[in-house]
Amino acid sequence: MGTSHAVSGPNAPGKRRRTRGRGVSRFTDKDIDAGVVRQAARGDVRAHEILYRAFAPAVYSLCLRFTRVPAHAEDLLQDTFLEVMRSIRDFRGEAPIGSWIRRIAVTKALMFLRSAWHSRGQGLEDDWEEVTPGSPDGLGVPAHPDDALDLDAALASLPPVARVVVWLHDVEGFTHKEIARYMGKTESFSKSQLSRAYQRLRPLLEAETARADERAAADPLPSGC
Amino acid sequence: MSGDDDENGEAAVASGLGVAERDLLRARLRELPDTVPPRAVWQRIEAQARAEGLLRRPGQGAPARWLAGAGLAAAVVLTVLNLDALAPGNPPGGDTAGTFPTEPPWNADRRVVRLKALNALMVESRQLEEDLRALPDQPQLVRAGTAATIAAVEDQIAAIDYQLNHAPADMTDEELEVYWRERVRLMNLLVQLRAAQAQRNAF
Repeated sequence: MGTSHAVSGPNAPGKRRRTRGRGVSRFTDKDIDAGVVRQAARGDVRAHEILYRAFAPAVYSLCLRFTRVPAHAEDLLQDTFLEVMRSIRDFRGEAPIGSWIRRIAVTKALMFLRSAWHSRGQGLEDDWEEVTPGSPDGLGVPAHPDDALDLDAALASLPPVARVVVWLHDVEGFTHKEIARYMGKTESFSKSQLSRAYQRLRPLLEAETARADERAAADPLPSGC
Repeated sequence: MSGDDDENGEAAVASGLGVAERDLLRARLRELPDTVPPRAVWQRIEAQARAEGLLRRPGQGAPARWLAGAGLAAAVVLTVLNLDALAPGNPPGGDTAGTFPTEPPWNADRRVVRLKALNALMVESRQLEEDLRALPDQPQLVRAGTAATIAAVEDQIAAIDYQLNHAPADMTDEELEVYWRERVRLMNLLVQLRAAQAQRNAF
C-alpha cells in the first residue's frame, strides 16, 4: 500500500528522522491528508489502512511500554483502531488526527491497566513497593547507559504507574492535570510519581552527563568551528 | 498539549535531578524507536471491522430495489448545485469541502476540470432520460428475458440514484463522477434495450 502520498512526517519514507521537540510526539508529527480522514469517515478500507500504517507503530509502542507484554499491546492496538473506525465520523478535525488517536490509545491502555491491577486486587495506587532497582527480569539500572535499549530497560524497571506518568509527561507532552484526569488521580500524585521516577533514573543520567562532559573537555572545539 | 515545565522543574528538583539531566532524559526518551506491530494485527482488525459492518465495500449500501424515478430529482438538484459551483465568482464545489477547508489552491483548477466533466455527465444523463421518454411505452406482452434484463438495469440505476440522493455533504467530486459515469453507461444500455424492444413490437 502506498502511503507516501497521504502521509508525511519525519519517519515517512525518504525523510530523515529528527529529534522531536517539546510538545511534538510521534502522534502529532505526521501530516495526514484531510481527504484520507474524510474517506475513513465513510468507512473506506484503504483510508483506514493508511491511518493504521501511519499510527500503528506509535500506538503499539505506547501500549507495549505501558503493559510490557506484546500480546496485550497487540490487543490494545486492535481495540484502538476498531474504536477509531467506530468513532471517526465524530472526529471534527479541531485537533490533529494523531492527537485524537493517541487519546483513544491512552484511554484504552489505562483502562486495561486499571482492570489488570484491579483483577490483582490493586488499584492505581503507589506501586513503588513492587519493584526494586535491578530486581525483576534483570531490568535494573543498565550497565551501559549510552545504549537506547538500556534507557528502555531503565524505563521498564519503573513501577507501571510511574512509567505511564513519565511517558505521558516527558514524551507525549501531557500536563500533570491531564495525566491526573486520565488516571483518576490528583495532580500531586502525578508530580510525585514523576519525581520518584527521576530519582530512579538519576544514576543513568548522571553517568551520561559525565560522559558528555568528558567528551566536551577532550574536544573543546566542535567540528566546523 | 503543552508540558508544564515549571511543575516538571519541581519534580526534577525534588528528585535531585538537574535541569540538564532532565532535558537529556526527555530528549533520549523521545528518541527511543517505535516498534512495528506484527502484520497479522491489521488483518485481524480488518476482519473484525468487516464483521461489525464498519468498512465499506465499493457499491455497498444500496437497497436492491428503488423507484427509478426518485433519482431524477436528485440528478436535477445536483446539476443545479454543480452549475452554481461553476458559475464565475463562486468557489468550485461550494461548501462540499466539509470540515477540512485546507485544500491547496493549486487543486482548484483540477477541481474545476473535474466539475466540468461531472456536469457533462449529468447533461448526458438528462439527454438519455429524454430519449427514453421519447420511446413508446413498454408493450403489455414482452419477452421474459428482455423484461428481466430491463428490470435489472433499472434496479442498478435506482441503486445509483439512491447513493446520489443520500450522498453525504462532503462526498468528493471524484466519487460523484464515478456514480454519474456509471449512471450514464446504464442509461445508454436501458435506452438500447427499450429501443430494441420497441422495434420488435413495431413488426
